[in-house]
Amino acid sequence: MAKEPVRVLVTGAAGQIGYALVPMIARGVMLGSDQPIILHMLDIEPATEALNGVKMELVDAAFPLLMNVVATTDAMVACKGVNIAVMVGGFPRKEGMERKDVMSKNVSIYKAQASALEKQAAPDCKVLVVANPANTNALILKEFAPSIPEKNITCLTRLDHNRALGQLSERLKIHVGQVKNVIIWGNHSSTQYPDVNHATVTPTNSEEKPVRSVVADDNWLNTEFVTTVQQRGAAIIKARKLSSALSAASAACDHIRDWVLGTPKGTWVSMGVYSDGSYGIQSGIIYSFPVTCDKGQWSIFQGLKIDDFSREKMDATAKELVEEKTLAYSCLN
Amino acid sequence: MVKEPVRVLVTGAAGQIGYALVPMIARGVMLGADQPVILHMLDIPPAAEALNGVKMELVDAAFPLLKGVVATTDVVEACTGVNVAVMVGGFPRKEGMERKDVMSKNVSIYKSQASALEQHAAPNCKVLVVANPANTNALILKEFAPSIPAKNITCLTRLDHNRALGQISEKLNVQVSDVKNVIIWGNHSSSQYPDVNHATVMTPSGEKPVRELVKDDAWLNGEFITTVQQRGAAIIKARKLSSALSAASAACDHIRDWVLGTPEGTWVSMGVYSDGSYNAPAGVIYSFPVTCKNGEWTIVQGLAIDEFSRKKLDLTGQELTEEKELAYSCLS
Repeated sequence: MAKEPVRVLVTGAAGQIGYALVPMIARGVMLGSDQPIILHMLDIEPATEALNGVKMELVDAAFPLLMNVVATTDAMVACKGVNIAVMVGGFPRKEGMERKDVMSKNVSIYKAQASALEKQAAPDCKVLVVANPANTNALILKEFAPSIPEKNITCLTRLDHNRALGQLSERLKIHVGQVKNVIIWGNHSSTQYPDVNHATVTPTNSEEKPVRSVVADDNWLNTEFVTTVQQRGAAIIKARKLSSALSAASAACDHIRDWVLGTPKGTWVSMGVYSDGSYGIQSGIIYSFPVTCDKGQWSIFQGLKIDDFSREKMDATAKELVEEKTLAYSCLN
Repeated sequence: MVKEPVRVLVTGAAGQIGYALVPMIARGVMLGADQPVILHMLDIPPAAEALNGVKMELVDAAFPLLKGVVATTDVVEACTGVNVAVMVGGFPRKEGMERKDVMSKNVSIYKSQASALEQHAAPNCKVLVVANPANTNALILKEFAPSIPAKNITCLTRLDHNRALGQISEKLNVQVSDVKNVIIWGNHSSSQYPDVNHATVMTPSGEKPVRELVKDDAWLNGEFITTVQQRGAAIIKARKLSSALSAASAACDHIRDWVLGTPEGTWVSMGVYSDGSYNAPAGVIYSFPVTCKNGEWTIVQGLAIDEFSRKKLDLTGQELTEEKELAYSCLS
């Protein structure tokens, strides 16, 4: 018996990430190959024609799982009845713009979208914020949508998590599927901390081993590996002259899929979630933690040892998030 | 037991269609969720940095099925050992260019790529040409890779086929998966003939002919046809870019059905080397209705062709014959 369709909203859908993301959703990458979908796509007025072009292409692709497409510039229409909301839309940073300017624009956007989501979305709607500054946009959204459970509002650090897995797989010349349990702590920014202290690799025909012992190069793991992952976004822009739409869209699918369908046994993933004070990170910010997911809920994986090196990095990224929060609130006044 | 990886080549991989296509391949859309793949990506030297950026993103996406990525500007390296080749790279038509100019450039490209594929691809490599003029590029490729079986060289009309299904589904307000067996005859150009005479819709009371349900022959013989024929231009007008998403998706559908087989009772449209079926000209790559089984396509025979359709089949066949002549004149 066919499942009832799930309504998935993508904001900023006429843009690059949206264009990469919508065919993935329509093919079942996000929710499984047996889950019918109704796509809601939102963008701003100037993008109306382009947005309609995307809708036309979705019709032209004859996707078996795609039951309907709602393409609109009206946030209330876009948010109506949605079960999943992927917030890709935001004000991009342009050359010469100050951090405060970007923050200010995005704070307004996320305040307004919070309102629409709260009023129109289905109960228990799961929200993933992608647009940068992702953590703080998610926080603003949470603050202005008080009836959406705070545990339902997350931001994307799965891209960084996957990037970290990719870097380790290249270093170890092993398939990425054999590496797991890296952690991205903190902010989806250059202060993020990619932590391999609990990551493992399972070589072919062998047992699971700690990444640190197999890599056997702590210096690389503590320096170049960290900066490569932190700055990967810029490296992609340098190579492509455009930002990383393909991998961001793919990570968004992974984030939602694992959240909804559960993480594999023995594996955690990284998600930006509302901090409850775990690992000495202050509550009241959206901070990336290692989480497992079961029955549609994430739980922070507790009890991992944190060494001094890690402690410092985790605190530094938390500090940045607190500053961003202060900046965001100052923009609101 | 885990399957051996299949090597899939995408040419023009640094471009728009390539960027949409490679994540689809890496997720199993083309060959199935249990089929590991090794991606080969080829583009021209000016695109080397962008191509490397795509490779970096493929690594960053940590795809479970993706066992390797070869990103190169060297056509020999790109073609080595490939089991499936999707030829997206080609010289795009620019404003002011004559048809002959575009044809001339692409004929050169496809002649040299034919050579590399023939020498380096795995035996029984399946080839799908996407770059326009798709049918004629595929024909050139076939002519200059004589040791690749003619039946292994195809061109993409699945995009038009899917577009036709989409138009019918919108007209009837039904799910597109309930519509089937449209046919795209001929050239992937504005002379293509989208034919619904044998198309059906699954309804609560069983399969019904599209013509009967639509009840508007004027629309089916007029606006429906031109909408499908000109859909590419409509997408460009709306997006200011051509249809990468739907073309990539159709390429996956084309290969998947070819390799894994078409569902029972369903055919699809593929540009294939014509054997003269339905009085189409032989010796050109012409889009026919086909079923697929055990990795082989077979033209669906015996469908009734009415007068209206006959004219359209002939018109698009004629255009293909002219393109073939033009292509050969470019080679001389």
